[in-house]
Formats: sequence, structure tokens, C-alpha cells
Amino acid sequence: MSRELSGLYRALAADADDRALPAPDRLRGRADRRAHRRAALGALTVAVLVGGTAAGTRLVLTAGPDAPPGPPVASPDEGSPSPTPPSVPPTPGRSSPPPPARTPDTPPRTSTGPAGSSPTSIPDRAFFALAAANDAGTGSTFGPGPVLPALCGATPGEAGIVTRRVRTLAFKLATTPQGYVPDGSYKHSITVYRPGRADDALAELRRAVRDCPTRPGTGDTAGLTSTQRLLPDGGYGDESVLFEVRRPATDYEGAPEVREVVRLVRAVRVGNVVTVLWELGWEGTSSPRSQVDQDSRRAVDAIRNWLD
Amino acid sequence: MRDANSFDDFYRSTSARTLRYGYAVADDLGEAQDLVQEAYARAWRQWGKLAAHPAPEAWLRLVISRLATDRWRRLRGWRLAASRSGPPADVGPPGEETVLLVGALRQLPARQRQALALHYLFDMPVAEIAREAGVPTGTVKSWLSRGRTRLAELLPGVVSEELEVNDVA
Repeated sequence: MSRELSGLYRALAADADDRALPAPDRLRGRADRRAHRRAALGALTVAVLVGGTAAGTRLVLTAGPDAPPGPPVASPDEGSPSPTPPSVPPTPGRSSPPPPARTPDTPPRTSTGPAGSSPTSIPDRAFFALAAANDAGTGSTFGPGPVLPALCGATPGEAGIVTRRVRTLAFKLATTPQGYVPDGSYKHSITVYRPGRADDALAELRRAVRDCPTRPGTGDTAGLTSTQRLLPDGGYGDESVLFEVRRPATDYEGAPEVREVVRLVRAVRVGNVVTVLWELGWEGTSSPRSQVDQDSRRAVDAIRNWLD
Repeated sequence: MRDANSFDDFYRSTSARTLRYGYAVADDLGEAQDLVQEAYARAWRQWGKLAAHPAPEAWLRLVISRLATDRWRRLRGWRLAASRSGPPADVGPPGEETVLLVGALRQLPARQRQALALHYLFDMPVAEIAREAGVPTGTVKSWLSRGRTRLAELLPGVVSEELEVNDVA
């Protein structure tokens, strides 16, 4: 029976897929431990060389040893990991690769530091899970992108950032049967700020919304002016900011309709961490306030559980 | 400063296909796992700069290709580190087709294995493989052609997909 080479490669790929690789944090941990051992070995080598040189010099310059010789320095254990000398970094194609790091990097601190300190990484568990009745079954997609709608050129909360992760996820209302199209979607971000900068971020956001009551649309919403306004809010995290973005809806051909689309955006601060739920709708839906409130609470709970 | 989150996202989104590539250029799946982990460990050490690299995945593949040609010397550190975390989980043996392919690939020069892997696993056109390998497209065509011819000799009954190499150029 004839086979195609591409089929054999598909079989190989399937077999490779059965093998699990370690979780990324474990891999980073191993890599950092190796880097530290290598740095320690390097320091030890320098100490041996310096010590040996100094001792040799004394022996030459004096008639006899004035001081008793120090303890012998153990040679590196052959069983310890052999540091792999970083080779010249490979060059993929014609693009220039980055030069190898020559100084040992500091290890990533634990992401659950004591109160007052800022975590330096954000694990998946910091992101809330939708209630089963709201799970649209589409999962989350992490990636780059803005965490707030455009606010007349302001960039609130972009200073003092330690780390940030952003995901997009769709939800359905509890009354919507499984298998139907989602009722809305979120751009959900978690940002860790340096100590004392998270409340600045929320203050900047309040100011940016106040200073941008109206904004002309661009791109797909060109010709449509949106209005922004702060809404009273409280009871979420240490403090929160809720605002709405309201603009005329458009039909499938882009023409304005009589009704409006309302988007809700809530930023909640928990210590040095700010999470933003920006409801983006789904095919022209407006943000359901009760759903956004419910998911905001879940978002805060997930962050508190992570930080505890 | 290195951003652990962006590295983790990169690792999660690329590691499966990188392992496939490692398997196709190495001759053993266990070794491919070591190669891939070593490559990602190096990527993490340089992540501050590599994150801004235009093609970090291509960089990884090149590291893997180079490690594969000198794996025992370069992997010693990783193997020792990995051995401290216990043996890997049991997995089933590879399928018959994989065993045949890997056995044949062992008899091909490394550059041909790499070119074939990029072509069949990543569906890369010749020009892109040439860019990644830093060689003229004619060289890649030659590697692919010779590699497929040799595999056809080593794998009786395998259909030689004659037009692929030229079609994708």
C-alpha cells in the first residue's frame, strides 16, 4: 500500500503531540537555577584564581609563609551540571539575533508576594472563570492589545507597570441556550503596578474619562461620535472606576441606526493590581450591566485568591 | 527586564510544534524533548532581547538544529538538571509509521532533515526555508529534492510527491 511522505510526517507530529513538555514556569525555574549555578561557579573560579595568585605572590616575595595556608578550595564537582558555554547565538535567516545575555538574570520572584509587594508575573489562575451558565465554550485567548477604549489620546494607567496580561473571552447570558452565539465578550486585563502606582492609574482613568466626554469615531465607526461618562460605582476591590461608552449603533452596511450601543468598562484595584473588564459586545449587543457586575466580582475574587 | 508572562504565552503557543520539529531533526523523541527544553531555556535567558526579535520561533528552530548536531556535549547540563526532577512520565511507543520515518531520517544529512521538517511540518515555501537557513533557494530545492529521493529509496511504497518542491517556490 502506498503512503505519502506528508502522511508519515503527520504521524510523526501526532506522536510528538503525545509527549508533554513541562509547564513554562517549571522550565523557567530550571533555566534560572542553572544560570545561578553557572554564575556561582564563575565566581568560585575567580576566587580560586585570585586567591592562588595572591598566595603565589606572597610565596615569591617572602622568605617563608607568614600565615598558615588557607583551606583547600574544592574543585568543581564533576557531577554538577556542566554549564553550557553560550555559543554564538544563531542567526535565523538574515535577521540579527539578540546577543546572548552575559550577566546572570535575576530570578523571577514568586507571583504571590507579601502584601505591599508587587508580583512580577501573573498566573492563569489570576483570571476568573465564567460561571458555568455563562460559559460560551469558546475559551480565552491571551494576546497583546489595548486594555481600554480610546479616550481622546489619553493613556491612563500606562506608567509604573510591572507586568500585564490581557485576554479576550466571550460569554453568554444564563438564559441563552448552549450552542447559540455569545451575548458579549470581554477584553480582560490584569496589570501589576509598582507599589503606590495602582491608585494613580485609577485616578488617571477617572480624569481621562472626564476629559473626553465625546469622541469622534475612526475606522469602522468614522462619522459616529461616542460619548463617555463616569458612572457611580463601589463595592469592588479597594476602589473601582466604572464608565460607559455610548455611540449610535450601525446596521450591517455601517449606516447609523436609531438605537445606541452601550459599552461598560470597569477597572478595579486590589492592592497594587488593577483588573479591567471592558465589555466589547458581540455583533452589536450592548453591555448587560448585571452580567458585568457579576463577572467583576468574580474577577476580584480570583485576584484576591491569587494574592492571598 | 524579562517578561515572564510573554515568555509563557510564547512557550504555550509554540512548544507543541517546536517539539514536532525537534523530533523530525533529532532521531529520538526523548532527545527531542531535551533539545526543545534546552532551546527554550536559552530563549528565556535571553528573553529580554529575544522578545523583540522579529522571528523568535525561527531562532528557536535554529538553536535546536545546532544542538541536534552536537547534542551530547551541549545537553549534558540540561540532562543533569532534568534528572533531579525524576524520570519522565511513561508514554506509549511511537506508531509504526513514525518509527519507519525516523529510521529513514537518521540516514539523511542534518540540513536535508531540517529542510524537510520545515516543508512538511510547517508547510513553509522554499523561499521561507531559504531565508531561515540563510542559503539560496536553489540550495533548499536541492536539499528537499535529494532528501525526498533518499527517503523514497529508504521507504518502499512511499509516494514521491514530485511537484511540491517546485510548486511552492
